[in-house]
Amino acid sequence: MSAATADEGMLVIGLGQPDRGDDAVGPVVAARVRELAGDSVTVLTREDPTALVQAWDGYRVAVLIDAVLTGADPGTLTVRKAGRDAETLPTHAFTAAGRGGSHAFGVAGAVELSRTLGTLPEQLAIVGIEAETFDHGPMSDAVVACVDDAVATVIATLARAVGELKDTEAGTCA
Amino acid sequence: MTHQLKDGGQVLNVGMLARVEGEGGMHIEIKDRQVVDVKLNIFEPPRFYEGFLRGRTYTEPPDITARICGICPVAYQSASTEAMENICGIVTTPEIQLMRRLLYCGEWIESHALHIFMLHAPDFLGYESVLEMAKTYPDVVKMALRLKKAGNDLMELVGGRAIHPVNVKVGGFYRMPTVAELEDLRPDLERGIEDALAAVELVAGFDFPEMEQDYTYVSLRHPDWYPLERGNEIVATNGVRFPVAEIPQHIEEFHVAHSNALHARFDGGTYFVGPLARYSNNFDQLSPRCQEAAVKAGLTETCRNPFKSIIVRTVELAYAFEEAVRIIDLWRDGHAPSVPIAPRAGEGVGASEAPRGTIWHRYCIDADGVIEDAQIVPPTSQNQASIEADLRLAAQQWVDLDDHMLTHRCEEAIRNYDPCISCATHFLDLRVKRS
Repeated sequence: MSAATADEGMLVIGLGQPDRGDDAVGPVVAARVRELAGDSVTVLTREDPTALVQAWDGYRVAVLIDAVLTGADPGTLTVRKAGRDAETLPTHAFTAAGRGGSHAFGVAGAVELSRTLGTLPEQLAIVGIEAETFDHGPMSDAVVACVDDAVATVIATLARAVGELKDTEAGTCA
Repeated sequence: MTHQLKDGGQVLNVGMLARVEGEGGMHIEIKDRQVVDVKLNIFEPPRFYEGFLRGRTYTEPPDITARICGICPVAYQSASTEAMENICGIVTTPEIQLMRRLLYCGEWIESHALHIFMLHAPDFLGYESVLEMAKTYPDVVKMALRLKKAGNDLMELVGGRAIHPVNVKVGGFYRMPTVAELEDLRPDLERGIEDALAAVELVAGFDFPEMEQDYTYVSLRHPDWYPLERGNEIVATNGVRFPVAEIPQHIEEFHVAHSNALHARFDGGTYFVGPLARYSNNFDQLSPRCQEAAVKAGLTETCRNPFKSIIVRTVELAYAFEEAVRIIDLWRDGHAPSVPIAPRAGEGVGASEAPRGTIWHRYCIDADGVIEDAQIVPPTSQNQASIEADLRLAAQQWVDLDDHMLTHRCEEAIRNYDPCISCATHFLDLRVKRS
């Protein structure tokens, strides 16, 4: 268990492959967050979902940015809580057809494996950005247009997660 | 769901094997408890990579073909660079070859660690997925992630990225890693040797079905080392051996109606590429420590039980860690990252040992380096006939099991190969019809 306070141990991860269309949006948004967030926030990019299990180990607060495909309009932003006390994500690692990264191990698999192994941050939020294309090539116009909003959402989500952690600590102390 | 045939036969249909790297299904027909038809349906949509390459320049295949697969991009890069260098008459330096081998070690570590512990071990331990397995074996899963991370780190340093590396070019690399950078990886790699050797003991203790197949094992062979990034000839257990350049004369691809992947014949017959073939053709080239671990695990110099491929992969995993450390021991700063290369009209072949088996590329380029023809032959398509033969044997051997157990056995038989559709087999929408 990390001994960090709520103000410490903050992580932002951009997940995705830079040359697979809108899958690049996670790393792109993370790079923008890195410019704005300062030294108190660690910002990483990862291409392989299995790497998440170790990447966020030891952090109390983390925000993951990832391209998603739910049927909403491209560029739509969603935020989902996935930390230790959040509901388990609907997944079955390696069995979710077409929903994962290589060998179908996706974000949900990484979250639930982390929960089992005890490496899941107390506060974890997933900022999903609805994608239009995962083909080789550049990001779609719709996703490019939402990058500013996504950056703002990530920062706001991070601040909210830290606030909730403080509330929890305050409640615990009381 | 079950299909009942009008003649009283039974059809076991596996619907969708959907996954990122490919899509497929399985069809097994049983009449009077006899398996009469087996088809592995790979209906992955055509991806046209060979077509994309035509008209491009000879320097582009390493970057383009690496995008074919997120698990074995280095295999594509190695085969394509070797083919182009053969056409252009270029021999790279020993240091470039050494660094290619180190990069390949990274890929083997990534791929083998993923498959052994997270895709395959749950079969033997009785879990549906690694998520379930992690509840009982958290330390094994943590070790698996640690091993895989070591491979990812190696790929990132040498290849520039953990997936789809970008540092490889025809003629060598864009940049060589430094001794200091490589030394940073040493502790994890040395620990990886010990972890992987311990893992050999672990997987050797699994319960293996009795099943042996007398396939013609085909793999690369090199006089000086166990084949990874290259070999100088192809060898087969039927005694045939020939230089890599002659592969197209012995391996013929052909289309079958039920698959969007080509099947292949080796001198007209079914054959098998992959860890079992590599191991059986090159046991003498493994390190003494890996040979000892294999023997202690109950293997002999040849392994013909496809279910024991998990042991062989784990031996190879330990070997890849050993090789990585050996290369880092040898490395010195200051080596040129690449050699000059200029196009020359001709045709050439390059081959390497992807984690799943031999992969080879053939290119024809003109005097300006423009690609006129390209052929890419990955291991999964070469093994389709062997997979079907295993499924036939497995289904017959376990024909009296209930649908669930029979499905599980057939899935395992597919996962033995770690084909690019392997993880999708978990999704099987099984339909069985019995008379």
